[in-house]
Amino acid sequence: MVAGKLNDDKFDEMLGQSLRRHSEPVPADFTERMLRQIKEAEQRQILARVVLQERLSLAGCIVFGVLAAVGITVFPGRIAGILRSIAAGFAERGGAYIDGIGQSISIETVRSEWQLYTILALVLGFALYCFVDMLVGDRLRTA
Amino acid sequence: MVEKIWEKRQKKKWLRLLRSGDHKAFAEFIEKYKETVFLCCRRLGLREDEAEGVASETFLAAYKAIGRYGSRAELSTWLWTIAYRQGINYLRKNRKQGQFEAELDEQVVGSKEPEPATSIQGRETEKIVWDAVERLPRLWAMAVILYYREEKSVADIAKIMQIKENTVKTYLFRGRDKLKQVLASAFEEDIDGGR
Repeated sequence: MVAGKLNDDKFDEMLGQSLRRHSEPVPADFTERMLRQIKEAEQRQILARVVLQERLSLAGCIVFGVLAAVGITVFPGRIAGILRSIAAGFAERGGAYIDGIGQSISIETVRSEWQLYTILALVLGFALYCFVDMLVGDRLRTA
Repeated sequence: MVEKIWEKRQKKKWLRLLRSGDHKAFAEFIEKYKETVFLCCRRLGLREDEAEGVASETFLAAYKAIGRYGSRAELSTWLWTIAYRQGINYLRKNRKQGQFEAELDEQVVGSKEPEPATSIQGRETEKIVWDAVERLPRLWAMAVILYYREEKSVADIAKIMQIKENTVKTYLFRGRDKLKQVLASAFEEDIDGGR
């Protein structure tokens, strides 16, 4: 029994050693080709992201334009009133505008004109994203 | 002791670089593991061109997923899992239903029955052992290679091959038994030498 166990252990050892010594042939330039493929895949990914960004910009412009056109057609008086009040707010407050920004855009105004402010916030957010992406996007992607 | 700490730190640093998508670190990763990935592909019975394609897909998948690698499994076990799944998926896609299962029961090379290794003269032990392993059914051979060559635990092998631990044990038992029969005459002197 003990002899059998010893032989088993010896067989396992021999098997392990022989298998570990085996080396599997690999094409010589495999690593270089693989790295080339990875770089190409990354470039394709960056290109796809840029295309998506362009499409989003275009869609944003179209949607914003359509919304503006619809708004002006359906609620001409209201839009004119909003624009007039914004312009008047700028003109009246002048240099003190920044200090009084909290009062000029009161919660009541935002609540009553939430659709307009939502669109403005989205446009501003997207513009900010595009700006940051333009400045540091490439560096982040290739880092 | 100091060397071990240094090695550990270097490995951590290398892993961090690897996760961040550093090309140099990934080139080292490919260099280190390409043989393992080709070994997995060929033991699944893929032809040369197929093995190269699947190996490329494996490294591409690893590159995409390395950021999510959480160090819980060993890096080699993680890569083996990807390579094995890529290989199996390739076989599923490119072989007919019955042919796929039948192929996994076949040996990688040659005749259906393992040839008894009657003569060790002129052939290296390693070659004889390897030839005998290649004549085992593919899944048995895979389990034997993972256990004896790669020194993976039964649990890790089960994870890599997506089978139950008991099935792994069965493959190992049968594979080892068959190898022992085939290699008996070649290793008779060495094994019985201790008696």
